[in-house]
Amino acid sequence: MSKPSDLIQGTLDLLILKTIALEPMHGWAVAKRIQQVSKEVLQVTQGALYPALHRLEQQGWVRGIWRESESGREAKFYSLTKAGRVQLDKELEQWQRLSSAVVMVINAGQEA
Amino acid sequence: MTAGRWWDVIRMRFRSLAKRGRAETELDKELRYHVERQTEENIAAGMNAREAREAASRMFGGVSQIEEECREMRRTQYLENFLQDLRYAVRMLGKNPTFTVVIVLTLALSIGANSAIFSVIDGVLLMPLPYPQAERIARVFYRSTSYPKFPLNPWDFLDFRARNRSFESFAVYTHADIQLSHVKGDPVKLSAFRISSGYFQVLGLHPAIGREFDFSEERPGNGNVVILSDRVWRNQFGGTPDILEKKVLLESQPFTVVGVMPPGVDHPGNSYNSVAYGDTVDAWTPFTFDGNPNNRGSHYVEGIGRLKPGVTVEQAAADFNGLMTEMAAQHEGDKGWTIYMIPLFQEIVGPVHKMLLVLLGAVGLVLLIACVNAANLLLARAAARHREIAMRAALGASRGRLVRQMLAESLLISVMGGAFGAMLAIVGVRVLVAFLPAGFPRLDAIHVNGMVFGFTAAIALATGLIFGLVPAVQASRTDPQQGLRDAGRRSGGSGRQTRLRAALVVGEVGLACLLLVGAGVLLRSFLNLLKTDPGFRPEHVLTAEIALPDATYKDRAAVASFYTRMLANLSALPGTRSVGAGTDLPWTGYDENMGGFTIEGKTPPPNEEFHARYHTSSPDYFRALGIPLVRGRFFDERDKKDSQRTMIINEVMSRRYWPGEDVIGKRITFDDKPKESDWFTVVGVVGDVKDKPESASAEPAFWWPLMQQPFAFRSMTIALRANTDPTLLAESVRKVVRELDPSLAVAHAKLMEKIAGENFSTPRFALFLVGLFAGLALVLAVIGVYGVISYSVSQRMHEFGMRVALGASSRKLLGMVMRQGVLLAGIGVAIGIGCALVFGGVLDSLLYGVSARDPLTLIGVGVMAIVTGTLASLPSARRATGADPMASLRAE
Repeated sequence: MSKPSDLIQGTLDLLILKTIALEPMHGWAVAKRIQQVSKEVLQVTQGALYPALHRLEQQGWVRGIWRESESGREAKFYSLTKAGRVQLDKELEQWQRLSSAVVMVINAGQEA
Repeated sequence: MTAGRWWDVIRMRFRSLAKRGRAETELDKELRYHVERQTEENIAAGMNAREAREAASRMFGGVSQIEEECREMRRTQYLENFLQDLRYAVRMLGKNPTFTVVIVLTLALSIGANSAIFSVIDGVLLMPLPYPQAERIARVFYRSTSYPKFPLNPWDFLDFRARNRSFESFAVYTHADIQLSHVKGDPVKLSAFRISSGYFQVLGLHPAIGREFDFSEERPGNGNVVILSDRVWRNQFGGTPDILEKKVLLESQPFTVVGVMPPGVDHPGNSYNSVAYGDTVDAWTPFTFDGNPNNRGSHYVEGIGRLKPGVTVEQAAADFNGLMTEMAAQHEGDKGWTIYMIPLFQEIVGPVHKMLLVLLGAVGLVLLIACVNAANLLLARAAARHREIAMRAALGASRGRLVRQMLAESLLISVMGGAFGAMLAIVGVRVLVAFLPAGFPRLDAIHVNGMVFGFTAAIALATGLIFGLVPAVQASRTDPQQGLRDAGRRSGGSGRQTRLRAALVVGEVGLACLLLVGAGVLLRSFLNLLKTDPGFRPEHVLTAEIALPDATYKDRAAVASFYTRMLANLSALPGTRSVGAGTDLPWTGYDENMGGFTIEGKTPPPNEEFHARYHTSSPDYFRALGIPLVRGRFFDERDKKDSQRTMIINEVMSRRYWPGEDVIGKRITFDDKPKESDWFTVVGVVGDVKDKPESASAEPAFWWPLMQQPFAFRSMTIALRANTDPTLLAESVRKVVRELDPSLAVAHAKLMEKIAGENFSTPRFALFLVGLFAGLALVLAVIGVYGVISYSVSQRMHEFGMRVALGASSRKLLGMVMRQGVLLAGIGVAIGIGCALVFGGVLDSLLYGVSARDPLTLIGVGVMAIVTGTLASLPSARRATGADPMASLRAE
């Protein structure tokens, strides 16, 4: 499973940005954190995660720095850039609009 | 996206590209770290080390796939692929130099031609005029039923200036050359204008030193002040800064210098005694308003104004027309006129606008043909590379990847074509400018600049995409199985591809026909012009201009006596056959100022006047210019100052006002209450000379004899017919004039042949270029037809061999192939001529005595194209007859 088919691509970006907004993290930690916080509902596959991280890096929204990790080895830690913060706000707002719209449609369906 | 974000992205891409090696190791390390962490987790969950690693790897999925996707995220993949494609394209083109040279050269020629024409269009039509807010400057003319563009009356101007609500500033100017005399050295004739105050304000220009004229200098007696051009200031006065308030001798009178203009002041052009647009004026003196303010009948000043912001030309014209009506109620002379206003830009470039667009259209067609040709050659090559492409497709190249690869090749070709084209354009523009017709506006503004290079780059890329896309898409449709199977026997193109190529060639022939028709009708029009009888004989005639200053030549008698003595001395020169002087020369334009008169015993039709162009001439003027006498006599010594007043008229005037009558002895007068001595008797009728060779007909005109001129014509033109080369006499003419009056300058010594020739330069220029483009188009079409037929023959050699084996004669095979060529050309001709019939109208205004849908030209072009198509298929047809029946039979 390498294509991000479970998650809409934009949503994955949002999840990653939101996750590393708290503190710089390497890929493994990002995947774990999303999994934990979502109570195992969201499983981010590596095949989706790393291309997404690299894409975000190319866009200049995240920056990767190599440093020693908690396991004692060197790992690439991703952190948000200034542009990334702006992007995160934008995506959050979009997501809220989208999800509330979806909720409205669903509720409307129930009433009828 | 903001600029900063773009910068981030570009920097990242650049890093990914430049430090590819490091990025690769890091990617590897990053993914490995993940697998290791997973492995550790698995071990913690109770697996042994090997199981844990295997499970982690399984979970992770295809590492190389993820790596590839991460790489793709760098978005440098496209660039890397492109560079790879480019390297491949360079190799392919290098392998096939003939193909490359032909295709690059044809593109370079057509791109270069397009850029050259575009740089002319850019300079003349696109660049704003060199005046601040030039779009607000407009020219003002009078208009009546007979005269579409007429100069203004000076007193009317004063009324307009005082009362109009549309112009920020409004001025008039009129051509009046002046003679500058130095203490020592020859006098110099300066190209000069008399201008009302505010003239430079209209243009938005300011003197570099000193000031503009003010209202007080428009009053009679205050006008002896002058503004010099930078050129005259430097060349004649050494550029001394203390020139201001100095007195200089103009027309033998002292003038005070009040200002010097900066370099490069462009004269806005004028039509009355015209001086071309450009840096053509040496000096300006004030226009002084003297005489009777109620004299509204004479028209000789040209109006120019700067519109107030937001006021349109139409609004201003309506404003002026309102004033004109009010003025006509007060002054008889203002009746019958309306105002014609035109933006200055249109006034200047209007005459060449159409021709330039036609040229751009023609050269654009050439580029289109070159594109089609290139597409065709690429298609042919794609067919030859059928197998290679099928192999790539079989090995998993996506369609997009195949298209991109082929496009890299065509873009490389077009970029090379564009680069060579740009070089050609640099040379081509120089040649073009050198060959531009006389009086072409804004020559100085024509440069190969950034805009032109941008245009060249844009059309090069566009052509690359256009001619590359068809073959690329076509090739990407290759079915790998089919392709690989076919490839064993012969490199086969599909039927669809052959049809596509045939269609392209048909289009090419059609476009070439369109251009050939254009060149054909321009040629016929040009021949018509050359064939028309000019009405005079320009060979062996030398002309020169002389202007007598009014300070020293105070009256008509002094003027007439000077010219009489000068002509006597000139005719005594060895080598002179006949010599005359007159107020103007054939084909040099006329100022539209016409004299109204009364014809004895006739009343003009209502709302019309008798009028004709007036001139004065010496007895031998007509003989020197070779204008034939139709009836009566030329002027001679009988036409003295106090003898019976006489005149010579032209045939048009005789036919218009005395139809069917013998005009000799008829009389006209210019006075309302004529005395017996105010009548002029017609003594001769001369042949007509049109304004320009392409004019529909001549205008009515008459000549007063030099000795009887009703007012002093101080500026005259000498026409001297020589027995041999007239240029040898130019110095003698100067000497004769200097001996009579050393303060006089002889200006513009020119051959009449040259003056006449300049009138053909515009049609010659258009013909030359369109002819050149049509020739180029024809060559390209021949290449196209040859290519398609030759390819189809090589495809059918097997079939031809069979036919020979079955008893077909060479004649029959020859016929079969040639028929194909004729068919292609024939369909092309039909399309081309159809287009010519539809679009021909755009040329009509450039043509003389021939329609753009001239049947003879259409037929000629059709025949020519079909013959050419036949000849282009001949070599391939010959090859077909050489088909070997044995080879075909063996292959079966």
